[in-house]
Amino acid sequence: MEKKISTTAKEPAKASARTVAVIDIGATAVRMQVAEIGADGTVRPLDSLQRAVHLGKDTFTSGVIQPSTTDECVAILQSFRRTMKEYGVTQPEQIRAVATSAVREAENREAFLDRIYMTTQINVEAIEGAEENRLTYIAVHDLFQKDAKLRNKDVAIVEVGGGSTELIFVRDGRVTFSNTYRLGALRMRETLETYRAPAERSRALLGQHIQRTVDQLHWNVSLRKVPYLIAVSGDARFAASLVHPSWDKQGVVRIDCKTFSELADQLVPVSVDELVRKYHIPYQEAETIGPALLAYEHLARAFQVKHILVTGASQRDGLLKEMAVRGAWTAEFAEQAVHSATLLAEKYGVNDGHSQYVSEQCVKLFRELQSEHGLDERYELLLRIAGLLHEVGVFISDRSHHKHSMYIILNSDLFGLSRKEITLIALVARYHRRAAPRSYHTEYTSLDRDDRLVVAKLAAMLRLADCLDRKHLQDLKNITFLREKDRFIVTVNDVADLTLEQLAMRDKASMFEQVFGTKVELRTALSADEAITHG
Amino acid sequence: MLNRELSWLEFNSRVLEEARDATVPLLERLKFLAISSSNLDEFFMVRVGGLQQLLEEGRSAFDPDGLTTEQQLAEIRRRTERLVADQYQCLLKELDPELAVAGIQRLRIESLNPEQLAHVERIFTHDLYPLISPIAVKMLAAFPLLPGLRLNLLVRLEPDKESPQTPRFAVLHLPRTLARFIAVPDPAKYTCIPVEEMVAAFVARFFPGETVVECMPFRITRNADLSVREDQAGDLLGHMREVLDARKRSNCVRLETDERISDVALAFLRQALRITFEQIYKVPGPIDLSAFWAVVKLPGFEKFKDKAWPPQASPGVPPDATMFDVIARKDVLLFHPFQSFEPVVRFIEQAADDPDVLAIKQILYRTNENSRIVAALARAAGRGKLVTALVELKARFDEARNIEWAEALEHAGVQVIYGLKRLKVHAKVCIVVRRESTGIRRYVHFGTGNYNEVTARIYSDVGLMTCDEDLAADATAFFNAITGYSQPIQYRKIEAAPHGLRAKLIEMIESETERSKQGQKAHIIAKLNALVHRDVIEALCRASQAGVKIDLNIRGVCCLRPGVAGLSENITVISILDRFLEHSRIVYFHHGGEERVFISSADWMPRNLDRRVELLVPVEDSECRSSLISILKTCMKDTVKARRLLPDGSYERVKPARRGKPLRSQELFYRQACELAQQAQKNRYMMFEPQLPAKTTRK
Repeated sequence: MEKKISTTAKEPAKASARTVAVIDIGATAVRMQVAEIGADGTVRPLDSLQRAVHLGKDTFTSGVIQPSTTDECVAILQSFRRTMKEYGVTQPEQIRAVATSAVREAENREAFLDRIYMTTQINVEAIEGAEENRLTYIAVHDLFQKDAKLRNKDVAIVEVGGGSTELIFVRDGRVTFSNTYRLGALRMRETLETYRAPAERSRALLGQHIQRTVDQLHWNVSLRKVPYLIAVSGDARFAASLVHPSWDKQGVVRIDCKTFSELADQLVPVSVDELVRKYHIPYQEAETIGPALLAYEHLARAFQVKHILVTGASQRDGLLKEMAVRGAWTAEFAEQAVHSATLLAEKYGVNDGHSQYVSEQCVKLFRELQSEHGLDERYELLLRIAGLLHEVGVFISDRSHHKHSMYIILNSDLFGLSRKEITLIALVARYHRRAAPRSYHTEYTSLDRDDRLVVAKLAAMLRLADCLDRKHLQDLKNITFLREKDRFIVTVNDVADLTLEQLAMRDKASMFEQVFGTKVELRTALSADEAITHG
Repeated sequence: MLNRELSWLEFNSRVLEEARDATVPLLERLKFLAISSSNLDEFFMVRVGGLQQLLEEGRSAFDPDGLTTEQQLAEIRRRTERLVADQYQCLLKELDPELAVAGIQRLRIESLNPEQLAHVERIFTHDLYPLISPIAVKMLAAFPLLPGLRLNLLVRLEPDKESPQTPRFAVLHLPRTLARFIAVPDPAKYTCIPVEEMVAAFVARFFPGETVVECMPFRITRNADLSVREDQAGDLLGHMREVLDARKRSNCVRLETDERISDVALAFLRQALRITFEQIYKVPGPIDLSAFWAVVKLPGFEKFKDKAWPPQASPGVPPDATMFDVIARKDVLLFHPFQSFEPVVRFIEQAADDPDVLAIKQILYRTNENSRIVAALARAAGRGKLVTALVELKARFDEARNIEWAEALEHAGVQVIYGLKRLKVHAKVCIVVRRESTGIRRYVHFGTGNYNEVTARIYSDVGLMTCDEDLAADATAFFNAITGYSQPIQYRKIEAAPHGLRAKLIEMIESETERSKQGQKAHIIAKLNALVHRDVIEALCRASQAGVKIDLNIRGVCCLRPGVAGLSENITVISILDRFLEHSRIVYFHHGGEERVFISSADWMPRNLDRRVELLVPVEDSECRSSLISILKTCMKDTVKARRLLPDGSYERVKPARRGKPLRSQELFYRQACELAQQAQKNRYMMFEPQLPAKTTRK
């Protein structure tokens, strides 16, 4: 016996907690948060690193990221890599790195991301505005859990970033609207420099610029009054720490709108050099402070906000929380996505019994045919939403309404869904009628093969569901499915006369037959007499 | 405000006072004399050099007391003359006779017996003659470039027959490798003669056929206040080398020579070195009293030295425990050198060897040769741990050594960061990141002293070891900021200079002021090496006026004038000089009864609070906090080694109250350390612990 249990000579500890790192490559800074995720999903921050970069300046002025900036980012990420190792973060699954508008919009973004991957083995994902919104929502989600007052009110979550402004409206804890606007603090700063506006004019100039977005917002959102605005960004945190010097930048601080305006009045005219000297902040940060505060102020005024809440949470917290719960957000976001689809349907006047019914039938079919299509539940959600939205195009015209549906969906933001998912939904809706995918349907053909197959499968199910409410009466309530060797039998147990439905089926079932290789048969279990009794 | 240079000279005369204190063991007195001399050297190189440079550049400025640069230099001259006179009085009249009785004597060459003379001649011929080369100075412009602070001999030769009016000179530079005192055979005593006398005795050998008229020792001090030009891009390491070179050539700020020097020789030196009479100090004995360190260190005279006070084990640190287990259980406060520095070294060594340790981050400012800490860092890097060391090259006069081991660490795979541009990193912190069963845990050591195993035995410092989540996160963020890994991020509990520390200090002083105004009890105690910063002094005076009781224990320079009615009458300033160099910085605020205590690396000087990277760390563990409060309060009660600063800027010894028992704080601290260590050991004997099989040592 060489070795007995001793308190010190233990094997390298196998931590039940895991350490992870999230990186956020923004317009003015690259930031990393290293954290430990406990077995119970709690997030314990270990290390925060932040370095200033010129990405936004490059992209928003010349459209491309300059080689020197790329080098700078590589050097920063390499040093981050070392810090990660200090905490045992070495595996790709322990790291999530995202880049926002400055990288997303750069013409050479692929080259930039490849270079970073080659030199640092960090796989950076250029995320879109909708994804940013989703992450921000996860980050601030706790607030709604904790604060009953927020839960019952209209709340705007605003992130004025370097290149874009993300906006989420929440009512009763549910997202009612979300969108990304090309209103960025750094973009505004660049505009000022292009115009070489004198200091006293700059405020008015920025104001006009911001007002354009506010006007656009008023088109999108019918709300006129929002009592609370949650500001999420470094600039907002900076402002808050001036108002509340003892704030630990962890929780939330409240600033009434008047104080915020006064602060903005005070800071906007201050030159960048002066800000740097006075507050010991990097130039990149100082450049965005004035425009960002002005943007928050305008937005707050536009919606008659009473209180601005500044949270210490950031997209990185959203990333961390998502890593912590490993997909437990799915249910929450499925509901949020369905909710925003419902609101969209309502807006176009199609949130009626028919779309609800079709959507429900879609879900039933999806589950019934699980072994045939082999798709996971995320696609069930897409189909469910396609069911809700397949007729939104009718708002424009009944003729070719499937095409109108497609582009309305394509051009809408559905909270919690990625751009690609929205594209899939739009195409499923596009093919809910007679037309089958064709080689000249560019939206379809630009998908890869797997996704094309997904569209085909989902569209086939949507068509079938749509057939079941040909009359738009939702009278087929008791439906059962049966699969035989080469047939899929749909039996209606409460209606005897299925003539219309069967007629529709003849037109629409061909796609189903092609995709799944089975014929569809629609039967009734009742005689005509029985149907009358039941009716 | 008191003038800072004069306050410094006051401090140095307190050091000299220890050399003249008959209750101090003889060789310790000699040591204090040596210290007062090397202190003065540094003062001339840095402070006087800086002032003279100001004057030369025509940028004369007023000090906060209203003195012009010229006036300051004149005052410094006046005070230094007295100090130097006291030094030689002390050596020649007080110490030499007692040393002779003790068996240590310094002889003149004339007093040697023939046997000793023969010995000395042998040494000269074999060991010195080959090493020394005289440089004939034909004209003033050809005066050789002599390094600062080294001993030289000026030789005046008989003039040429052709020009009998022109004196001829040569310079002999005594290389630093030579021992200053050469022992001569003596059966009864340690007998020696200074090397310069020996060379002077045989100096004619260097000039065959010539007549040596005069041979006098001299030493020059050069301005060292050359700041590294960091704004010019380039690597700091290269710059530091340049500074070291430049320091060899910079202006002469002081000339010391023997008082017997002839006018003609002195005039020659004055012209050659381009100095004024005010820069010349003529002394009646050996130049450079710091050379007596060699005598202090002689083996075998133990009874003339302080009784050894071996550092005691810290009661909170069992001898066989892993530091991680100890710290995880409870914060540990270490009080060096009463308590051993060993736990700190062990902490870093164990971190190097522990398989669960992922990373070590450390600031190294001044460290000792053959440092176990440096070795451990190198070993850790070799084992694949991520080791980052911020090596501050700008530690004055230690640059050469710093460069050396910094390069060695780099070779071992340590990521070495060479300081910060424009700022000197003075904070002392070490962070160990360890993966444990419950997750990542970070262990941190914050200190007031450097990671130097040697000075940790003679400097009185405190250190805190903790794994408090907030302090660890702060330490990490602080390290990220100073290594350039990240922009500074707001700290949770600590404060750091140059950004937040001064503001925080003033804020806390003002909070005491406010409490006092509202009728609450208010009390500030601070223990520092120096208090110079005007903003802080003004805040303290305002606090005093509001009735806050302020006890300051400031070892060195203090520009605050205490006890002035209506201004600072509630402020007491003491200074303690004893066998250990008081070095810790501890600050206490009564804070309405929720006492707050901080340890810090910073003195309250402009350079520390505005131009250096320093830390102020709260000590929250109640036991550690009360230990610190007890240290502060005990010092304030010292009646043996404490001096009180008077409103006129002078210091007087604190006397024990009538019938009161004298209290020597360092002695009491040591006694307490011994008692605590014994008690802890006894407690361990009282515990029943199963004997576990010996741990297999890991390779």
